[in-house]
Amino acid sequence: MNNMSLLNSSLSQTMDYAAPILFAALGGVISENAGVVNIALEGIMRFAAFFGVWGAFVSGTPWIGLLWGIVIGIVIGSLHAYITVKWAGDQIVSGVAINVMSMGIITYLLELIFKTTGYSPPVPYFGSSVNRIHLVFLKDIPFLGAFSNLTILVWFAIILTVVMHFVLYRTVLGLRIRSVGENPHAAETLGINVAGIKWFAVIMGSIFAAFGGMALSLGTLSSFTNAMANGKGFIGLAAMIFGKWTPFGAMAASLLFASAQVIQLLLQVAASGFAKGIPLGFYLALPYILTIGALIGVVGRAVAPAADGVPYKKES
Amino acid sequence: MKALEVKNIIKRFPGVLANDNINLSINKSEIYSIVGENGAGKSTLMKIIYGLYTPTSGEIYVFGKKVKINSSNDAIKLKIGMVHQEFMLIPRFSVTENIVLGHEPRKGMFFDRKVAVKEIKEISDRYGLKVDPLEKVENLPVGIQQRVEILKILRRGAEILIFDEPTAVLTPEEAEDLFKTLSFLRDSGKTIIFISHKLKEVMTISDRIAVLRRGELQGVVYKEKTNEKELARMMVGRDVVLEIPEALVKRGDTITSVRNLTVKNKRGIVGLKDVSFDVHSGEILGIAGVEGNGQSELIDALIGFIKPIGGSIFLSGKKVKLINPRNMRKRGMAYIPEDRKRRGLILPFKIKDNVIMGQHNKRPFSRNGILNDMAIESFAEKKVEEFDIRPRDIYTKAANLSGGTQQKVLLARELSINHNFILASQPTRGLDIGAMEFVYKMLIEEKKRGVAVLLVSLELSEIMGLADRILVLYEGVIIGETKPGETSEEELGLMMLGLKKKERVM
Repeated sequence: MNNMSLLNSSLSQTMDYAAPILFAALGGVISENAGVVNIALEGIMRFAAFFGVWGAFVSGTPWIGLLWGIVIGIVIGSLHAYITVKWAGDQIVSGVAINVMSMGIITYLLELIFKTTGYSPPVPYFGSSVNRIHLVFLKDIPFLGAFSNLTILVWFAIILTVVMHFVLYRTVLGLRIRSVGENPHAAETLGINVAGIKWFAVIMGSIFAAFGGMALSLGTLSSFTNAMANGKGFIGLAAMIFGKWTPFGAMAASLLFASAQVIQLLLQVAASGFAKGIPLGFYLALPYILTIGALIGVVGRAVAPAADGVPYKKES
Repeated sequence: MKALEVKNIIKRFPGVLANDNINLSINKSEIYSIVGENGAGKSTLMKIIYGLYTPTSGEIYVFGKKVKINSSNDAIKLKIGMVHQEFMLIPRFSVTENIVLGHEPRKGMFFDRKVAVKEIKEISDRYGLKVDPLEKVENLPVGIQQRVEILKILRRGAEILIFDEPTAVLTPEEAEDLFKTLSFLRDSGKTIIFISHKLKEVMTISDRIAVLRRGELQGVVYKEKTNEKELARMMVGRDVVLEIPEALVKRGDTITSVRNLTVKNKRGIVGLKDVSFDVHSGEILGIAGVEGNGQSELIDALIGFIKPIGGSIFLSGKKVKLINPRNMRKRGMAYIPEDRKRRGLILPFKIKDNVIMGQHNKRPFSRNGILNDMAIESFAEKKVEEFDIRPRDIYTKAANLSGGTQQKVLLARELSINHNFILASQPTRGLDIGAMEFVYKMLIEEKKRGVAVLLVSLELSEIMGLADRILVLYEGVIIGETKPGETSEEELGLMMLGLKKKERVM
């Protein structure tokens, strides 16, 4: 492998790792800009990772899997919205409940449907050579070559970031979403449907997280493993904060966290000669250490939407 | 032509009759004031008109048509707009975004910012309400924020504008500006409903005045045919002595001294420069000045929130070495903050818990870190009686009390802590006459007991009435010293604006 193809493949791998984090982060961005904290993103990723594989298994195509994943995202998102918007319940408690629920339900379904523990059988996925988006003309160009062989999910994550930016900052809908996250009482007096906006944002965010789960099970891998989403939802939330609740910020943060993952792998290879003494666990922990470090550095300056996480009750 | 009529409005809350058969008839193009003490039912009535509350019974007519107002949206459609006491603004949004939110000009699905900015410029010109459309609201002074609120409802075509205690948050200059705006709006055909308990203001700007007391309408009077005294009597139900009785007390020893105090505020600006003064036992020293001329820096340094960058503070005759709130209080300071909701009380706490805060770690209220409820409750019962706190229920949360009652709880707490010095910062801000009277009475009693009082206030009448000596702060320095008997409000006003100086002899 020459240097250029190592560069391109490392970058492409970084994007592969970044996609699930970015999806979760974007889910957090839209939801929290409307004032609803959604730590259930992790659980939703797990649900969708499994349902996506199940759908692909049953139908023989990842596209049907994608549909199943979206549907389960909507279902779980609605549950979170029902608790936190309709009943103004505590957003953290609801999120924790959904995460815990995902552990039990999915482990059970895995055994029930695939008769296995640990992982599902392999299914058709977006990462297979036929399903990847081949842009051969980019292949030998430095940097751009990284985009020559991505999965459709990675492309979708990139496009979604741009679209989200325009929606949040250029459209009427975006202005209203942000107004609800900043001051729902003011928004209400101006005739904005606060509950409607919150429902919409939570469900959209959950769909994004569902994509994130499937980027794991139908993008990077071709099966569900019981460790999924392995904290990617939480790292996504960290990326959202690090990115100051903006889509492009979330993207940059996701790429940073993902690159730590890739560097970690490269380090393992490179260090095998002279630093055998360093335990494997250290490398594995590296991205998470970086996450914590980055958050310590930035969290003081990051400003959440003013009414983020505050249950909203209408005056009677 | 009648702009708004309410007929036989009754609003019952569990246990309270907030509005008892109210009838009002408001003409187009008039400034109609509604006055009453806190809890008299003004805000409830306005919330009914604005659709935030549903009346238990009664009828509302807008421009002669009978209407049902079930939400603020309905009110807006009927051309009723409201400037709330707490602004309904989004600090991080621009002026333009705040004004157009909910009725945004669009280009397809996109928000058309250019058209929006143009529109804001047009209406702001039309009504003489200058704003910078692109500035973020969080960077604006309160007076301008209020302007944004007014523009917001004007843009929605409001013909009837309700102002809920609009001057409570304004400096005197900003209030002047607001009054000009209100007159202008009236002259251009709008109807203004002005809610207040400040009689002076009401007498300045109203055409007619309605007085509420305990949910009942006491009467409607023309401004020309009434005066502050009569209004006060209607409001409170008895004669109110607004004049503060003179209390001659022999001035005693120096209790608190400040020498060459220089303070940098949170924004890193030196807000108080080289200030020195003494406060004596049995004396009220008034600090006058336009808001933002060093008052908050002085107060924050005295209570120990900010470490001064120069100078020293002496309490009970001794220099305070380590300046923090705990030390200040240990040396006999009681503190009445201007913002009782943020600095004074813990709103979700009950009265009984609020009155012992600060002494909670002392006997008999706690022993070895465990609170003694019996002692706390009997103490609270005593204070509720002593300070005439209503309701007498010590389990009521502070958040559910009126402003005046909150202030009484605060006074009950501060004055029961061992003190020889009171730092009172705008102690009557937002209070109605009855509560004001109470605060004055307490301060004078403290003075008679030999306590030293530093009174920082924006209300000149308060300073003139209470203080034995007056210092005027201007741009962080003391520009002059005088006494109520030797000066006039006019002269003080000039000093406050930096147009006149007076030598001090220290």
